[in-house]
Amino acid sequence: MSDAISPTPAPGTGHPALRPQLSLAIPADAEQIANATDAVLACLAGLKVEEEKCMAIGLAVQEALANAVVHGCQNDVSKTVQCELSCDDQGRVLIVVADPGPGFDFSASPEPMVQDVYNDHGRGVFLIRQLMDEVSFERGGSIIQMWKY
Amino acid sequence: MDINTQRRSQVEIIQLRGPLRLGPAVNEFRQALDESLSNGDTRIVLDLAEVPMIDSSGIGVLMKSLASARQRGGNIKLVNPSKFAVQTLRMVGLLNLFEVFPDADAAVASFA
Repeated sequence: MSDAISPTPAPGTGHPALRPQLSLAIPADAEQIANATDAVLACLAGLKVEEEKCMAIGLAVQEALANAVVHGCQNDVSKTVQCELSCDDQGRVLIVVADPGPGFDFSASPEPMVQDVYNDHGRGVFLIRQLMDEVSFERGGSIIQMWKY
Repeated sequence: MDINTQRRSQVEIIQLRGPLRLGPAVNEFRQALDESLSNGDTRIVLDLAEVPMIDSSGIGVLMKSLASARQRGGNIKLVNPSKFAVQTLRMVGLLNLFEVFPDADAAVASFA
């Protein structure tokens, strides 16, 4: 595995005492995504995170993993997607998802409300931004860091 | 994903059970809707009471099928979607495109 797909460390500034809780490496296979999301949900339940917050994080993880598998890895199962979950001492949750792809123009993600409502794609990044409190991209978009407070 | 389909008063009722997410669940969901639509069954009731989560790929299938049903004079109506499914559809600005009913009987009757 190339070190190029390792996610960058979570931002330390403003988020002290970050504790890693879960680290997953999954093949870029759409059929593996739901299991990874379920592992994240189980981890959050173990941390006693409230249900509404769990669901928001779970869906955001599902969308980030789907982007990584489908767009970052082009569904190439020989590639690996990483997902890491950490929390801080205030109960804030950080999710980092990384893929080995070239990234994408995350600033160009359209708002679904101004698209054709019958489009069958193009809502993932918008949903992530709605569900999470802080979202940033690194390495050209191939790493997404998402905070839920 | 468990999918049960039944027909009542010329309305196709599709009941889903489990998260609707990219992978086998969304593939089965797409197949069930495609099958109904290709059989000419364009009046569809989708029971979402036991669907805790819908991701963007599930929404994509739903919207494509809604367009197809409406183009042929039909519609897709929702029954008892979970709180989080409602929140998700609202977030992406699509909730108001659907008629939502508390139970399948009311949804079926609305097609009369």
